[in-house]
Amino acid sequence: MSTDCQKTTAKAIPSSRRVTISDAEHMPHDYSTTPGGTLFSTTPGGTRIIYDRKFLLECRSSPVAKTPPRGLPNIPGVTSPPSKDTNVKTHNGELLNNNNKIIAPDCSSAGEDAQFEMDI
Amino acid sequence: MNNKFDALKDDDSGDHDQDQGSPKDSEKEKTEDEDKEQNTSKKKMVVPGAGEHPLQYNYTFWYSRRTPGRPASTQSYEQNIKQIGSFASVEQFWRFYSHMIRPGDLTGHSDFHLFKEGIKPMWEDDANKMGGKWIIRLRKGLASRCWENLILAMLGEQFMVGEEICGAVVSVRFQEDIISIWNKTASDQATTARIRDTLRRVLNLPPNTIMEYKTHTDSIKAWEDFHGLVNASGGR
Repeated sequence: MSTDCQKTTAKAIPSSRRVTISDAEHMPHDYSTTPGGTLFSTTPGGTRIIYDRKFLLECRSSPVAKTPPRGLPNIPGVTSPPSKDTNVKTHNGELLNNNNKIIAPDCSSAGEDAQFEMDI
Repeated sequence: MNNKFDALKDDDSGDHDQDQGSPKDSEKEKTEDEDKEQNTSKKKMVVPGAGEHPLQYNYTFWYSRRTPGRPASTQSYEQNIKQIGSFASVEQFWRFYSHMIRPGDLTGHSDFHLFKEGIKPMWEDDANKMGGKWIIRLRKGLASRCWENLILAMLGEQFMVGEEICGAVVSVRFQEDIISIWNKTASDQATTARIRDTLRRVLNLPPNTIMEYKTHTDSIKAWEDFHGLVNASGGR
């Protein structure tokens, strides 16, 4: 059911979870998931932060996830710093990339300094 | 084995950690210092940004490459492995990953390592000394997809083995690629079995793919034998 981050308080471990499937159509197409979403509500030892693959992939499209990280070393053939042709940036820190145009957000969401950090 | 070269042929991604062997004390000190300089020049606490999704652990990406034909040695291994960066959230992970070449496109004898922050991708690290790894050999063309599935499973805490996971490695070699996942306690069979089962579930491997578990100490012994560190009477 849940594809989000699950952060729960510690509670008794459920002994089992039953999902009844009456139709082959309801089986997940992806071999690596269980019906109803990959579920691990609690683990021994308390709360754990668990994400399934689908959720992690969805996070990739967030603008916060696209800017090059601060201090990314330039290793030719290994890392790909954003602008291959030029290192031009506007005063606002807008970065023109081959495919994406990454715009520095107004709000100070995550890693705001990284978006203005162009020297690699 | 008919000749010593067979030992190396069966070696896995830990080809690089074969390079560490048993260094002389003075040499080891020196390389540790170099390593410190090279890799810890900017040691800043990595934390998730506001609004980002935190990970259970922080992780560090490393990259290593060995010039083919060059003799392996502890010193050269330490110099050839380089930190790419660390992250503490899902979004930070993608920022690195999206700016790194896919393993299938790497050239030469190269590796990516993704290890928990504070654990070096070397058997000598305290976390790895008593540990081992599952290795999976892949024909060319599969490494990028399998590596991605492997690290997403690791970052998403899909292995469910407490603190046991140390990190993952993808190794690009001449005619095959190898992915591996390292854990702390090689003798903990419940843990290694659960890791194996999770690998099968998350990797969608071709049928007949063989998974092999190797302790790091076994890998070291094989390296030592290959490099002739056993004396004439078979002692060390």
